[in-house]
Amino acid sequence: MTVLEFKTRDLLDRFGLKGPGAAEWLAAHGIVVPPAPNTWAGAADADDDAILVARLGAGEFFVEDCVGGTTLRGVEPAPEAHPPGVYPVLREDAAFLLSGQGSLDVLAQVCNVNFADLALDSHPVIMTSMIGVSVLVVPQDSGAERQYRIWCDPTFGPYLEESLGMVVSECGGSYRGVLA
Amino acid sequence: MYRLDGHPDEWIDRSTVLSFRFEGGEYQGFGGDTISSALAAAGVPYLARSFKYHRRRHILSFANHDSNTLFQVDGVPNVRGDVTPLHDGMRVAAINTFGGLTHDKARYLDRLARWLPVGFYYKAFHTKRLFPQWERMFRAFTGLGAVSLDAGRQTSAKRYGFSDVLVVGAGPSGLSAALAAGAAGARVTLVDEAFRLGGSGIGFHDGTHGSTRALIEAVRRTPSITVCCATVAAAYYADHWVALVDAERLTKMRAKAVVFASGVIEQPAVFRNNDLPGIMLASAAWRLVLRYRVAPGRQVVMVAANVEAYQICLDLHSQGVHVVAVVDLRSAQDGVDDAEAAACAALGISVVRGHAPYEAVAGGEGAVAALEIVPLDAAGRIDSIKRRRIECDAVLMSVGWAAAANLFLQAGGTTRFSEELQQFVPSELPAGIFACGRMNGVYDCEARVADGARAGSQAASHAGFGVASAAVVAPGARCPSHRFPIIDHPKAKNFVDFDEDLQIKDLENAAQEGFDSSELLKRYSTVGMGPSQGKHSNMNALRVLARYRGVEVERLGLTTSRPMYHPVPLKLLAGRSFNAERRTPVDAEHESSSAVWMPAGNWRRPEYYAVTGESRTQSIEAEVHAVRNSAGIIDVGTLGKIEIYGPQAGLFLDRVYAGKYADLKVGMTRYGLMLDESGVIVDDGVIARMAPEMFYFTTTTGGSATVFRELLRLNALWGLDCALINVTGHRAAFNFAGPLSRELLQPLTDVDLGDAKFPYQGVRSGRIAGVAARLLRVGFVGELGYEIHIAAGDAAYVWRALSAAGSSRGLRPFGVEAQRVLRLEKGHFIVGQDTDGLTDPFEANASWAVNMQKPFFVGQRSLKILRTRGPRQLLVGFELLDPVRMPKECHLVIERGVIAGRITSVVHSRTLNKSIGLAMLSPDLARTGGDIEIRGEHGDPLKARIVPTPFYDPRHARQRAAVAERAVAAL
Repeated sequence: MTVLEFKTRDLLDRFGLKGPGAAEWLAAHGIVVPPAPNTWAGAADADDDAILVARLGAGEFFVEDCVGGTTLRGVEPAPEAHPPGVYPVLREDAAFLLSGQGSLDVLAQVCNVNFADLALDSHPVIMTSMIGVSVLVVPQDSGAERQYRIWCDPTFGPYLEESLGMVVSECGGSYRGVLA
Repeated sequence: MYRLDGHPDEWIDRSTVLSFRFEGGEYQGFGGDTISSALAAAGVPYLARSFKYHRRRHILSFANHDSNTLFQVDGVPNVRGDVTPLHDGMRVAAINTFGGLTHDKARYLDRLARWLPVGFYYKAFHTKRLFPQWERMFRAFTGLGAVSLDAGRQTSAKRYGFSDVLVVGAGPSGLSAALAAGAAGARVTLVDEAFRLGGSGIGFHDGTHGSTRALIEAVRRTPSITVCCATVAAAYYADHWVALVDAERLTKMRAKAVVFASGVIEQPAVFRNNDLPGIMLASAAWRLVLRYRVAPGRQVVMVAANVEAYQICLDLHSQGVHVVAVVDLRSAQDGVDDAEAAACAALGISVVRGHAPYEAVAGGEGAVAALEIVPLDAAGRIDSIKRRRIECDAVLMSVGWAAAANLFLQAGGTTRFSEELQQFVPSELPAGIFACGRMNGVYDCEARVADGARAGSQAASHAGFGVASAAVVAPGARCPSHRFPIIDHPKAKNFVDFDEDLQIKDLENAAQEGFDSSELLKRYSTVGMGPSQGKHSNMNALRVLARYRGVEVERLGLTTSRPMYHPVPLKLLAGRSFNAERRTPVDAEHESSSAVWMPAGNWRRPEYYAVTGESRTQSIEAEVHAVRNSAGIIDVGTLGKIEIYGPQAGLFLDRVYAGKYADLKVGMTRYGLMLDESGVIVDDGVIARMAPEMFYFTTTTGGSATVFRELLRLNALWGLDCALINVTGHRAAFNFAGPLSRELLQPLTDVDLGDAKFPYQGVRSGRIAGVAARLLRVGFVGELGYEIHIAAGDAAYVWRALSAAGSSRGLRPFGVEAQRVLRLEKGHFIVGQDTDGLTDPFEANASWAVNMQKPFFVGQRSLKILRTRGPRQLLVGFELLDPVRMPKECHLVIERGVIAGRITSVVHSRTLNKSIGLAMLSPDLARTGGDIEIRGEHGDPLKARIVPTPFYDPRHARQRAAVAERAVAAL
């Protein structure tokens, strides 16, 4: 089992889209659309060089490029010039990755979702609250380990990072590259 | 009390000797001892002083089902001595004493008892003049334990837990329930507050207890059962959310089904002096002997009313404890427990049937030295003439039980009173809740195991595992509890509630005064309100009340059970005290500019920026000066920011705001006032039309989350063709304002900032320092200015670019305090500060922001009514006539001795060289030119004059740039 690790992933390109025409617009731009609400498609794990698309509810989408990816640059429609029924959602999220042995212990200390019982085959997307902050969580299996990709409003980013980092350190994990 | 020889089942480790201090004395105990067991083994004659009368007290329940054994330990108050392990070097002290346990100055209160009846404090201390003195006395006398204000911050790692079936209680029925649930495939969590499994099922003889040992072994071999010992199920919340508390943390356990196998709580007999040291519950003595090898005394008398009493006597005798007599409240004619009574008699234990304890007699050091007993007939009458005295140094009470049903009741379960068992038992169980064992009225050991298996199977089935058992386990034939183990005495001191020092007459007096329901009795007398929350007293209190009223116990019912079941240290509830704080994207820039922080809701914002050599006041004034004379920049990123798209976006805004927006031109903004259904102002902001089907609007900092939630609700309700997006945290916003703002900003942007292309109240999209931005011309601070909105990720870069552009021209960042001054000089109100929960637009002089001609908007109907009634109050501007003294916000306006209004905002304006403010006044006072009187800090009157607003630049020329151009030209 791999070492418990927590790191930030703020610098990836991302945007959101909602509206009656959002799914069709994504498909027209070659972006895979998850078929069901609250599921994801695309990048199978955090290191995959593919785009991740999360379907938030029925008609909203969250799209994030891979590390080093530039596919999404310039793709997002401009707010003032949006196509009918396609509404861009600015996403400047703070983004994190929690992985390794002990991840569930960390999550149990900050969130009341039972991540251990999630069946990842269905590609679930979790919208929940973590220590008082609304978060988006995509749990994925990457080889032998499970990863949890976590996003939140950027104004809560410093607080969430510091708090989760503290818990990870107390659990013996690595935060900001420093192993506790 | 004294220590016995070793036993295979003892919980102590005699190879580990621990030293500790108690009330100035040095003592020793063994590893595994609790504080109470160690003190008892050491023969300490008494451990505490009671709450009200400061009577000497010792172990009663040995489970902290009473407050006799709460201690101050190493500076921590109210440590539960019965269940807290002893550590080497512990410093233990009694609580609730004045001058120590032995020389407690308050011990004389016991002699004043007749003047301190129940509820005496409701009827005394009415003299207003003396009340400060009474208050000081109460504060000194009441409360338990001492809180150290110097104690360091302690955190604990709270966590969530998940389980299919949670079993509370690990006695025979709980163990059996866990095994049954586990066998069905469920993941089980088994909790018990004791340090080890088995509960009352583990005893001296392997007979019935051997099956409990087998259950324990089976549980240990079952990997799907997680065992949590020394863990209290402290509270039940909705959807099977149970708070599990151990020494280190609180676990928020979410289960799919819960089995309550929490057993029963032994109840004391009530007789005169039943609280003397040496008098305890029989189960307490049994656990002391079995687990900690502490004998309750050398001459033990058992007060009995059930078979358990005899079984314990036999157990004690087998361990070398001398039992002198059994005093059985039941007569020989009852014909129960004859075999057990005969077994005791055969050992030389005197069995006295049909008698009750009348009075315990104290000996040296106040401990029990004898017990006087009297005949008790079937009707419950005693004959005090035929008194007999039994010499003893320990009295054990085994007269009955009460179900430990607190969490079951919190879960919504109901109970009924069983006449056969003289106990409340579960009656109706909510979905997913199951009960078994003695709590369920099942006392026989084999039956408890069967009942547990039934409940566990049913719980697992409810959670989706296996098939539910259809077994029905009937209660046994024996009644474990006496109907009325309460003996009156003319001299009283017969305690029902040991925590609160309540006697029989206290409860009767309360009922006599009309507090004659279980809930009223509780609140007036405080029975059940002590640290043990009625565990040892509620049942007897009900019996007393029932007798007084001549009704059955069932008719009275139990009081409402509420969390927590046992006292829980606040540090475990607080956990890590996570406090979700928000920071704008340029937080680091403020930090490097020496911002002095202030909380604004859950944000942190710069109050002002500290400059070496400037005081706080000077810095704020300098920031205001910069905005008025050159330029300033403030981070307004905390404002709510919402986008709305769609063909009916304009219609939606027309409905939620008081103004009109569907006809707003693209590229323009308009002020928006949001009302609730009663016409009260709840929020305000600026609405900008970016495109024909796209608006961008702001809300107040404090209102953003609430407003967005309400807008989503209204959108779902109305079903208009539009979509709302909350970008509050994803966009930064700065207000760049001052006469030089245009000149400084123009070189950085591709937007033509001239009036012709970008008039006042316009909005433009463009780039600033190469970054995409929205610019709004707003006038909140009353100068030419631009509110700049950009993506959060680019904020720091743009802030630095703007700061650099103006640094040589007197640009200063300004904070919240300077902004307050600037907006007040313009007479702009702040929702929630200058308005309250009843202020409508007419009262706030904001009717100009209301378009009553629209077909509908939220609050419109109410405004129509309010318009006909006239305002109750009016928001006006004032200036102080006193140049030196300043009132504060919320100081009152007094007119002819009557409150006529209040100050909502007040500042000293250097720009205007006067103190100004806003006030809500009764309409008849709100006349321009009229004088008002404000009651100042010390009641002194301050004169002010009502003046029109805005105070500064009344024609708004500065924000429309005409003045700015002249200022730039002059430079």
